[in-house]
Amino acid sequence: MQYLVSVITNSTELATDEEGAAIDVFNSRLQAEGHWVFAGGLGGPDTATVIDNRGGQPLVTDGPFVESKEYLIGFWIIEAPDLDVALALATEGSKACNRKIEVRPFL
Amino acid sequence: MVGALTRRFGDLDLAEEAAAEAFATAVQRWPTDGVPPAPGAWLTTTATRKAIDSIRRENKRGGKQKEAQLLYDDGPGEPLGAVDDERLRLIFTCCHPALAMESRVALTLRMVAGLSVAEIARAFLVQESAMGRRITRAKAKIKLARIPYRLPSADDLPARVSGVLAVLYLVFNEGYLASGPGTDPVRNELTAEAIRLTRLVRALLPQDGEAAGLLALMLLIEARRAARLSPGGELIALDEQDRTAWDRTLIAEGHRLVRERLAAGAAPGRYQLLAAINAVHTSAHDARSTDWRQILALYDQLLRLDPSPIVALNRAVAVAELDGPQVALGAVDRLADTLAGYHAYQATRADLLRRLGRGEESRAAYDRAIELTGNAAEIAALRRRRDRSRTG
Repeated sequence: MQYLVSVITNSTELATDEEGAAIDVFNSRLQAEGHWVFAGGLGGPDTATVIDNRGGQPLVTDGPFVESKEYLIGFWIIEAPDLDVALALATEGSKACNRKIEVRPFL
Repeated sequence: MVGALTRRFGDLDLAEEAAAEAFATAVQRWPTDGVPPAPGAWLTTTATRKAIDSIRRENKRGGKQKEAQLLYDDGPGEPLGAVDDERLRLIFTCCHPALAMESRVALTLRMVAGLSVAEIARAFLVQESAMGRRITRAKAKIKLARIPYRLPSADDLPARVSGVLAVLYLVFNEGYLASGPGTDPVRNELTAEAIRLTRLVRALLPQDGEAAGLLALMLLIEARRAARLSPGGELIALDEQDRTAWDRTLIAEGHRLVRERLAAGAAPGRYQLLAAINAVHTSAHDARSTDWRQILALYDQLLRLDPSPIVALNRAVAVAELDGPQVALGAVDRLADTLAGYHAYQATRADLLRRLGRGEESRAAYDRAIELTGNAAEIAALRRRRDRSRTG
């Protein structure tokens, strides 16, 4: 079972050195315990481009699909047997990156 | 087993319901009939049968007799190992912290207590379709996000048990004093279900002091039910109740549990302290002989554990009995910032003002309390006290 662990932020500031080090430790643990699938940090909403080609005429918009105070800034994809394990890992992850986290199952 | 049934039926809803019924049957029959040679297979067969006639059974549910039966302990339950574990798993799943509180309450009543969606919707004054959606959504989340059917680990258990007890206490309180005007002011079916489920948790986790404490608390409150409502449908305060109408059997059991916890010697939690307070009340033959000093000491202990304004408000009631209404009013007034919109705050303040002969202020506070209350029986009681304040 895989979960998308989204990192939510409301500030454009990058992770501090301290946060970066804590994330590295957390990532190593995910890998050592077999939970690691993939992870990455993202550019802010200002760097986003939305494409809508539902009508055959591709429409390109500068910016995120929805403007909001809080937005996605990075994510992990983890392997976990159930939500309890995923939430326990996400709890650690939130502490490591010092950000709010959303956990969602892949279907 | 719910997992196995889900795989077999391909329907979480039906599987959970059927499994819960099968466990209930097992709990009832195995102590007398003996555990069958293949308990797992027996449960699966029973659950399958239950699934098939679940709809028909649901229509026959209800009735006052059943409510009455739910209330009393039917003897010492034999610990049943695997069966108990399964039932506990279901409770922990329904009360999972990843679900919203209202979903936990609804799911527990549906899956564990077996109430129909319509009954739950009525209890919480929402449309049946809305309640149905809430339950469906919660079940879909359990399935898709894979909330496990598993007892929490030893590390998580205390926090998770307290989550389960919070759900059961919420169900009980809604029955004890319904929050809205659209239902009976006291909903016996909810208090009965809450007591039944708390009995179960208590039987399954006998070492948990708070489970015992919550059960004792519920029993000691439930024991006073017959004396709480006047024939005219007005709530009767503790000091005005006819104590001969209290249920001695429930009181005896509640007192036994409180004594058991005292003997255990462990530091009591919130429910144990509330149970102890209610044990003091139910030990007094009349309101005058209430040991307020002991009640105040218990509230002091509770306040250290849970320094909430509501505890402080209840403590002030004991202070009024010991140090007089003037001292108590001072304590109550300090809570105005947080509790001014809470009906019990206004009602307590009104009572104190009335005792101090400050009639006009007292009536204004009663009016405010009446505005803030949704419960018809409580409104009737507040009106009577307000009018007494006018003449006295």
